[in-house]
Amino acid sequence: MTEPINVRLLAAGTRIVLDDGAVAEVVSNPLDGVWVFARYLSSPDDPTRVGSEEMIFAQDIVEIRDTA
Amino acid sequence: MNTGGGAMAIARKEGYRTGLVDMAAGQISREIFVNEEIYQQELERLFARVWLFVGHESQIPNPGDYFVSGMGEESVILCRDRAGKVHVFLNSCRHRGMKVCRYDEGSTPVFTCPYHGWSYGTDGKLAGVPYFKEAYHSQLDKSRWGLIEVPQLCLYKSTVWASWDPPAPPFLEYLGDFTRYLDLTLDSWDGREGGTEILSGIQKWRIPCNWKFPAENFCGDSYHNISHRSVDLVGIGPSGSGRRDMQERLMARRLHVAFYERGHQTGVYLMPKDRPMPPSYQHSSVVSEYFAHCEEARRRSRGEWARVIGSPGEIFPNTALHPRQPRTIAVWHPRGPHQTEVWRWYMVDKAAPPEVKDFLRDYIRYSGPAGMTEQDDMENWNYAHAASRGTIARRYPYSYEQGLGFEVENYEWQGLRMPGTVMDITEAKSSEHNLRNLYRRWAEFMEAESWDELATWRIAQAAE
Repeated sequence: MTEPINVRLLAAGTRIVLDDGAVAEVVSNPLDGVWVFARYLSSPDDPTRVGSEEMIFAQDIVEIRDTA
Repeated sequence: MNTGGGAMAIARKEGYRTGLVDMAAGQISREIFVNEEIYQQELERLFARVWLFVGHESQIPNPGDYFVSGMGEESVILCRDRAGKVHVFLNSCRHRGMKVCRYDEGSTPVFTCPYHGWSYGTDGKLAGVPYFKEAYHSQLDKSRWGLIEVPQLCLYKSTVWASWDPPAPPFLEYLGDFTRYLDLTLDSWDGREGGTEILSGIQKWRIPCNWKFPAENFCGDSYHNISHRSVDLVGIGPSGSGRRDMQERLMARRLHVAFYERGHQTGVYLMPKDRPMPPSYQHSSVVSEYFAHCEEARRRSRGEWARVIGSPGEIFPNTALHPRQPRTIAVWHPRGPHQTEVWRWYMVDKAAPPEVKDFLRDYIRYSGPAGMTEQDDMENWNYAHAASRGTIARRYPYSYEQGLGFEVENYEWQGLRMPGTVMDITEAKSSEHNLRNLYRRWAEFMEAESWDELATWRIAQAAE
């Protein structure tokens, strides 16, 4: 089990890895501790998501790839 | 007088106008202030149908700005969405009801429920649902689960009003000709339309009394001024004497004005024709000159109507107006039959010089829980309510007979006819005309099944 990530600390530009293996870049952070807005950079399960922007749920984020 | 039939009246949804509120006799049962069942009926039959004051646009100047307000017992969010549109939403998540906003005010791109994480845009649309693909299999129809928005919203001279009742008349029709009296609070001192902004923060405090005690007090209860005698003696008025700058009261006709079909009422001072306003705010030359300039400009732009000087009044049922400084709007939020939460907004001309705004900000200390007169009022309401709850006390009605039968239609003085039904109290010194109007309308709402019964002015208009 991975350590929980404090999504309030994720600044725009931070790359994050999701539990389905997708990688996304944080676009903005509402600082609610629950969601971040991010753009998909890769998505092995669903390549059509690449380039799209979505709200990412905190519990779906498993790793910080690199910070802004 | 029906002194013991409260429960029966509620079950039948009648008996309010003919028993509990007896306007012919000028008597009102204490039950309407202390009865738990009547209070529950009020929430449904009154607060879910009327127009309520929510806030001021200057509190949410930019996209994403929000202010958490209240309508009846319920928390609502006043916000401006990304496109600049103003909304009022019920502050309750559609999933399990948790408050989606627990701050007083601020700016945000989303309102996120901390319970399970549902998240809403500032336009109220459901934007984020945790495990939408996995747990809901992408089948939840998000378009059906946005925040609950008021069906009726009105922005009037920067103030924001809302109603939960789709068939309620539009706000300006709800006001009728009382709009002219509301404008005494919302227009700039120099007579320009609108132009106010909120000064400083909002005062909020709770009083152990029914919400109708402060509501009737601000309808124009001039009879209780003896309570404020100590404040008069202190002399905190901005010219160094008395409570306020009210020298005009020595030369004006003093009126109580009520709108029977609407339930709104106010006090006013009607100045003699062609008499200048006495000077005011003489502790500060900048402020004194500002108000003198504004009075001149107002007389030029408003003509005869500039002779009308505002005094405390009320938009039915629970929005109090105080047009003179401190210029404020107060809302009496019901918090159960035995408690009221007061919210008080202070307003000032947006275009006023900084020195004037600073001076008036200081003068706020006159009102509010840490002020002077409001402390006197709270003590009265607190003890009056507590002393009316007992089994024996409830058997005896209150008296509202003062001035009964001395009301005047089409009141006119020195060429100016006043809208509404008027009681001239210049010589009488006091009346309960406006208080009776509040309860007359209250009883009508408690009995009426629909706006067909409440919007009686439409019947007369249709006949014309």
